[in-house]
Amino acid sequence: MRRMMAVCNKELQAYFLSPTSYFAFAVYVLMTSLLFYSSFVYYQPSIVDYRLVLGDTLSMLLFVVPLLTMRLIAEEFRQGTDELLLTSPARVSEIIFGKYLASLAILVVLILCSLVYPFIMSFYGTLDMTTVWMSALGLFFLGGSMMAIGLFASTLSQHQMVSAVAGFIILLVLWMLDSFAGNTGSALQQWLDPFALTNRFDSFMKGVLSGPDILYYVTLSGVFLLLSIQIVERKRWR
Amino acid sequence: MLEVKQVSKVFEGQRGVHQLDFTMERGEIVGFLGPNGAGKTTTMRMITGYLHPTAGSIMVDGVSVHEQGQRVRSKIGYLPETPPLYPDMTVQSYLRFVANLRDVPAREVKLRVSEMVSRLGLQDREKQLVRGLSKGYRQRLGLAGAIIHKPDLLVLDEPTSGLDPNQIIEIRDLIRELGENHTVLLSTHILPEVSTLCNRMLIINQGQLVLDGSPQHFGSAMGDQFKVSIEVKATAEQLHNVLSPWEKVRSEVIQTSVANTAKDTSLTSASTDTVKMLLTGVSAEDFREELFYLLSGAGLPILEMKKENLSLEQIFLKLTTTETTDTAANSADVDKVAGSETDQDVTSDIDSSSISGTSASTSTDSSPHSRKGEDSK
Repeated sequence: MRRMMAVCNKELQAYFLSPTSYFAFAVYVLMTSLLFYSSFVYYQPSIVDYRLVLGDTLSMLLFVVPLLTMRLIAEEFRQGTDELLLTSPARVSEIIFGKYLASLAILVVLILCSLVYPFIMSFYGTLDMTTVWMSALGLFFLGGSMMAIGLFASTLSQHQMVSAVAGFIILLVLWMLDSFAGNTGSALQQWLDPFALTNRFDSFMKGVLSGPDILYYVTLSGVFLLLSIQIVERKRWR
Repeated sequence: MLEVKQVSKVFEGQRGVHQLDFTMERGEIVGFLGPNGAGKTTTMRMITGYLHPTAGSIMVDGVSVHEQGQRVRSKIGYLPETPPLYPDMTVQSYLRFVANLRDVPAREVKLRVSEMVSRLGLQDREKQLVRGLSKGYRQRLGLAGAIIHKPDLLVLDEPTSGLDPNQIIEIRDLIRELGENHTVLLSTHILPEVSTLCNRMLIINQGQLVLDGSPQHFGSAMGDQFKVSIEVKATAEQLHNVLSPWEKVRSEVIQTSVANTAKDTSLTSASTDTVKMLLTGVSAEDFREELFYLLSGAGLPILEMKKENLSLEQIFLKLTTTETTDTAANSADVDKVAGSETDQDVTSDIDSSSISGTSASTSTDSSPHSRKGEDSK
């Protein structure tokens, strides 16, 4: 546990020191505020509903998450510091979970940033606070599983950019899964639908806390974290 | 303390290390030598649990490294060839991170960090970023990280590489100091380092152990025997008659029976034969004085007498460059007791191998000499 926290602290420090994370945050805030401007201020200032804004800004996560996670493992391999981690008494799972925990902390900051918009909107009318909080929670679950996928992508290479691209591609595939089979309502599409990242988010936006959806995100994170552990562990068997 | 049993490592069809077998006792400082690519780093990585062996097992205090890695790894301190440092961390935060990672008790962390800082002379750099440290300081910081949890076994991969002479001396002193409380395995390709630091050395070549013993012993020769090479003005036969009853010198090797060089040596004297021999004592005892009186008593003047000392470099070269001559010498060792009468083939073989011991350039020597042997036939 202490070793995990040590890794987590180290990663948080690295987040605060690395220009990449500031860049990612800047991109996220800039893009979401532009979208906020267009969907709220410009077109429909009379409708005070956070969901309309959030639905638009959600896709920004696709770009930001790989930027935030690409460094996590790839950089250790590149610097040779994996030799320190893997020869320390820490288990690989502790290392991975420590890093994941740090990325979740960053995610919370990211969500807090996006809560600025409902705060601004609240001056123009009454917000349905249930949907706002549930959306934030949903954002946490969705972002959390995206972070796990990004972390997994980071184990695949020792080059950050390769990891980022790999992460982006995996995320994109999962994101678009429901539209791959076309919008015809075919059997394939119906089968794929529940696995798409965004579909699960809808119930959170409606203010519904549904077990299957939470389970989906938690399992997705779990699977990718497990894969990451396996890949790092495999390095010993080279 | 450490047992490496029949360990092999295969990298995608390539053999990294083959059937390595050695043990280390508590308190030893063992030098691990070998040319580049011999498998030193691979072996060290396997001992520290960074790599798992393809076959064989490594035990630290009787616990297998790859089955109960976590327990073992807390007892090992490891400094890889390039110190594993995070450029964006400060010296202090790096040490604190490593201390936490390596299970230093929480309330001791602060103490240990400051202890390491003062011990390795990092005092003024505590708040400095690792990025800005020079190579020497990085090496020290890496070493600090490797010993912060007071490991039983310390594995250092080329700890002095890339340092300036002053730093090398400092690091060596530190390692010697550490050797008092820790068991140390260090790899290097600087040979004098081994003789000054280590009480035992292992030489590895192409993934196989070729030598295991203390560097002091190798000063006298390959084994524990005392060796002397002499040049005597006599015929081989005369010399053989004098020396064969003498039991102290077990094996008598005729190096060159220069029977037909009378024309060449016309300048020094008009005399007939000189014989060059390599004498190997049964024990490490010095027999030169006795030899002198023995030969002078027999009326055979000694023209030259030299104690054969293989320096570490020569041993190293001999073991790692041409193993073929090495095995030839070994087989000749067995032969030479029986066939000291000039069997030309054997002598030419011995000739090449023993000359390689003194002149250090093995591979080039062996061929012309064996050719000479055939010619003289």
